[in-house]
Amino acid sequence: MTKAHQHPLEKILESRIAIIDGAMGTTIRTYGMTEADIRGERFKDSKKDLLNNGDLFSLTQPKMICDIHRRFLEAGADIIETNTFGATGITQSEFFVDDPREHGGRKDPEFYQKIIEDKFLNDLAWEINEQSARQCREWADRTGNETGRQRFVAGAIGPLTVSLSNSPDADDSGFRVVTFDQVKAAYVQQVRALIAGGSDLLLVETIFDSLNAKAALVAIREVFDQDGLTANNKELPVMISAAVGRGGETLISAQTTEAFWNAVQHVKPLSVGLNCSLGPDLMYPFLEELSEKANVAISCYPNAGLPNPLSETGFDLGPQDMARYLGDFARGGLINIAGGCCGNTPEHIAAIAKALDGKAPREWGA
Amino acid sequence: MSTVTETKPLRLSGSQPFTQQSGVYIMIGERTNVAGSPKFAKLIKEGKYEEAVSIARQQVENGANVIDICMDEGMIDGAVAMTRFLQLLGSEPEVAKVPFMVDSSKWEVIEAGLKCLQGKGIVNSISLKEGEEKFRHNAATVRKYGAAVVVMAFDEQGQAATYEEKIRICERAYRILVDEVGFPPEDIIFDPNILTVATGMEEHNNYAVDFINATRWIKANLPHAKVSGGVSNISFSFRGNNKVREAMHSAFLYHAIAAGMDMGIVNAGMLEVYEEIEPDLKVLVEDVLLNRRPDATERLVEHGERLKAESSGTVQDEKKIEEWRNGTVEERLSHSLVKGIDTYIDTDTEEARAKLGRPLLVIEGPLMDGMGVVGDLFGAGKMFLPQVVKSARVMKKAVAYLTPFMEAEKAAMLAAGQEVKAQGKIVLATVKGDVHDIGKNIVGVVLACNNYEVIDMGVMVSSEKILERARAEKADLIGLSGLITPSLDEMVHVAKEMERQGFKLPLLVGGATTSRAHTAVKIAPHYSEPVVHVLDASRAVPVTTSLLSEDGKAEFVARHRADYEALRKSHASPRQKTVSLNTARSRRTPIEWRAEDLAVPEFTGVRVLDNFPLATLREYIDWSPFFHTWGLKGIYPRIFDHPEHGAQARQVFTEGNALLDTIIEQNLITARGVYGFFPASAVGDDVELYTDGKRGEVLDRFHFLRQQANREGTEPCRSLADFIAPKETGLSDYIGAFAVTSGIGLKELCDRFRAENDDYNAIMAEAIADRLAEAFAECLHKRVRDEWGYGRAEGLSPAELIQEKYRGIRPAPGYPGCPDHTEKGTLWQLLDVQANTGMQITESFAMWPGSSVSGIYFAHPESRYFSLGKIDRDQVVDYHKRKGMSIAEVERWLGPNLNYEPAE
Repeated sequence: MTKAHQHPLEKILESRIAIIDGAMGTTIRTYGMTEADIRGERFKDSKKDLLNNGDLFSLTQPKMICDIHRRFLEAGADIIETNTFGATGITQSEFFVDDPREHGGRKDPEFYQKIIEDKFLNDLAWEINEQSARQCREWADRTGNETGRQRFVAGAIGPLTVSLSNSPDADDSGFRVVTFDQVKAAYVQQVRALIAGGSDLLLVETIFDSLNAKAALVAIREVFDQDGLTANNKELPVMISAAVGRGGETLISAQTTEAFWNAVQHVKPLSVGLNCSLGPDLMYPFLEELSEKANVAISCYPNAGLPNPLSETGFDLGPQDMARYLGDFARGGLINIAGGCCGNTPEHIAAIAKALDGKAPREWGA
Repeated sequence: MSTVTETKPLRLSGSQPFTQQSGVYIMIGERTNVAGSPKFAKLIKEGKYEEAVSIARQQVENGANVIDICMDEGMIDGAVAMTRFLQLLGSEPEVAKVPFMVDSSKWEVIEAGLKCLQGKGIVNSISLKEGEEKFRHNAATVRKYGAAVVVMAFDEQGQAATYEEKIRICERAYRILVDEVGFPPEDIIFDPNILTVATGMEEHNNYAVDFINATRWIKANLPHAKVSGGVSNISFSFRGNNKVREAMHSAFLYHAIAAGMDMGIVNAGMLEVYEEIEPDLKVLVEDVLLNRRPDATERLVEHGERLKAESSGTVQDEKKIEEWRNGTVEERLSHSLVKGIDTYIDTDTEEARAKLGRPLLVIEGPLMDGMGVVGDLFGAGKMFLPQVVKSARVMKKAVAYLTPFMEAEKAAMLAAGQEVKAQGKIVLATVKGDVHDIGKNIVGVVLACNNYEVIDMGVMVSSEKILERARAEKADLIGLSGLITPSLDEMVHVAKEMERQGFKLPLLVGGATTSRAHTAVKIAPHYSEPVVHVLDASRAVPVTTSLLSEDGKAEFVARHRADYEALRKSHASPRQKTVSLNTARSRRTPIEWRAEDLAVPEFTGVRVLDNFPLATLREYIDWSPFFHTWGLKGIYPRIFDHPEHGAQARQVFTEGNALLDTIIEQNLITARGVYGFFPASAVGDDVELYTDGKRGEVLDRFHFLRQQANREGTEPCRSLADFIAPKETGLSDYIGAFAVTSGIGLKELCDRFRAENDDYNAIMAEAIADRLAEAFAECLHKRVRDEWGYGRAEGLSPAELIQEKYRGIRPAPGYPGCPDHTEKGTLWQLLDVQANTGMQITESFAMWPGSSVSGIYFAHPESRYFSLGKIDRDQVVDYHKRKGMSIAEVERWLGPNLNYEPAE
């Protein structure tokens, strides 16, 4: 298949393994930020705790966030992710809306319909996505110009705090708290804002519920079509990455790796891969499976092992450990994009970049 | 037509992948189609979705590769029914593994179905019936959701019946899909219409042939496209004559598959094996299908009537007893739970109830065992969450079956005036600062399925709210969940609050970042009640049941505490941050050495205490450990007020004292001891003992170890050597040592009791002797402090002595401050213990008789107990040089303290 115009990142992926950045949350924690810091002036009266709403830092502590983006770029990342893992109205509602369960109610499609229509949440989600993409754009371009190496901004689209595949009601396994259309609506808005902010790529990641991911992919398709990107040949490349358990299954919806690929292949993504999960040591067989089945680039950015609250970074593996594992994947000819998820600091990414320097990328037949 | 490209297989997925195998026909289950199955239609109309789900499961069990779901019926709201049914199937792991075919003639029903598929399914169907524009739009939508599509051979003019019509419409549709919409050709499945033959109308006679020929043409001319069809249509003329219909289906499929048909919608139960069709019938059927003779239909009808008459007498029992039904009731229950089958759960539960007598025993026995297997499989990655939830639902059914029996039992107990414990109530919450709760929700479902009352407080719940609610609801248990790392600190906070507020409930901890180790090391120590880490939803039930069980709780808690204690110990171990020995030495205990702080003993050298009065020792007994020996936890004397075992404590105390009276009166055992003071100086981490006050000749050396763990702040790296004045200060300091026993004669006494079959008093005698030995050490320490001078002004009561509120320490070799047991050898030599008391040390440096205590005295006001913790290789090497012991031997004796893996 010949392509009229190949995306510059695609060209890179054919010649070397591209590096994607590490964990925003883990790195933020090393800055010792407090509740007051994340609130800033703007959210100082917010009723719920916001400290773990890390995406909000892009608005209230842009300096720190940009510093982290810069450090990842300097560590050698070709691709940096926007700080928007939870930047949808649905996920933000957890931090800004009363939980009906506290008053004997429940979360259901009726509740989420209000969330989807909530102006405050929509505006906030939009702002986080757009701002974060802009911040990434600025630093990616700046570092790119300084180093003479083009850097890319991946608009990060996370899995949400609700599941389309799982019922929280013991008496009714057919119940769902939210509908496909509601989830799609939240994603449509996120996708538009990420594009508006200047993202190069769209990254649907940490997929533990394949149906949630499908809603995100449908949302992307609709935005491309409705906003004229398709007509103008301006579709952004899409990256897809799942989080899998011991058996290689998506963690909530229990879909095995190949089944997952079959379900998302129609998107013709730039890459498909695995991230987060149980760390790199258990990933090899599933990466291998994906690498065999998928005729697109393979990405891999695992957690730094399992969470280990007793270790310094909160995770088992240090920079050298991660470099070793990803080096093994590269030697096995399994990957085109490598980096880290939870627990990976700029030091980890630097070690990974160093270990993969000069390593041949996986070859795939288009 | 010259292209010889290999045909791409159809790839689909449910939770598992499905790849079409070349030459293997794809079976599509049709029983979940309201048009094809009156039974299914009835269940859906009556809202009996659970039963309808079981039909889907049977289809999969019967080997369907894909199941067709159709809700097209006037009385059914198609979109709603499709959504609900697919969501139920999504929670049915055995069914959810296969791809689904969303079947409807209404577009909104198809779109509703697509929104429920996590995998790649098939849309059935689209066609050119309403023109090209609609066709294109619908195809693009199917593409957007990532499904394959069935295209009916239908156009603006209507259904294609003849071969020519079929291939014309299919080719047109194919070109639009592939060239204009960009639909992958391997995902296009043509249905060129299987129409009924043998209707008696001559123009219908060639329908089967037309279909077969069209199939052959499509496969040859439309690359990668697939062919499907609704097989049972072919035999509609023979409704009511299953024998003929089954033969027709098989024969038709045989020929259609040979022509390239990839799949078909067929009732797997209505299919004869082609080779097993009776030869006569086969000929007649094929005559009809292949349109081989004009009278074919009449001949088949005639033969069919005959067959019907013959078979009316025979009853075909198609229900095979499944093999697993032959197991024991425990095995069957376990099988049902693991596989999530509820068909026999009532029967089996009843059988278990009859066998075990009480309903609760069924729950705590075979049912919990089955859930344990589920937990193990899940832990091993062999079962997935949805399956675990499914198992929990079966569990719920079993519990529901038992509930009336338990109610009856409860009523009977109440009537008999017995106390009845209410069903467990559990408060669940994701802690403050954390918004993740899918895992917690699953735990909630699993617990609710096991009949616990679950109060789910949602996410970001503050400690105050959780505890307030737990109190208000009189909860039996609190479960905390969290996914992100900072949640761990919040859990610690909740535990501390529970302790502060005097809660008595067990606390469960779960979530992705939590771990047993973290729970044991960081959370559990802050709360006196059990704090249990729950690995996953499947473990929630066994843990909860154990914690809320009257009979099982004590054992569970004891085992749990021991586990966590071991974890804490081993966790002190791996990879601790240490400092080098040199750095550690530079951080020795800061002591300003002044002559006035150094006590001078009344004598130096060794003194022996023979036949020490037991009556005196009695006053120094610390009784609390005595109760521990008997498995009664509590502090003496408060233990006597303990609500449960206070009376028991009182009884052993009385009996122990009675025995002690006898022992003292009749001198049944003898207490003997030896102790001494020696001039000493610290030299590095060793302490040199001198033969006399001139301090010229070294009598012996104690070798001590130093803490190397990196401590926070200004905490020093301590060594016992720090408490003796260093040689370079020029100050005269002293060290003491002792060994005491109250075990002389104990063995004979115990043997005598055992000979009289009085094990109780044998154990009691040992327990008493142990207490006396400890009392002896305490008592002697008092005397030593007096003789050192500074003790005379203490004026402490025995209770205060037990709390060690005095100056100076008496650490024993082998205990946390100086874990090297071999230093006891030095002590034995120094005091000539064996000759002076009869006490011996074994090759592993244990003391004999058992009721013995030894130790080293330090008198400096700054001296204190501490635990050595982990040491590194540099100190081991240094110690080996100082002690003249091989490195391997040092490593052997100090194994638990090593911060590295010693070489083999």
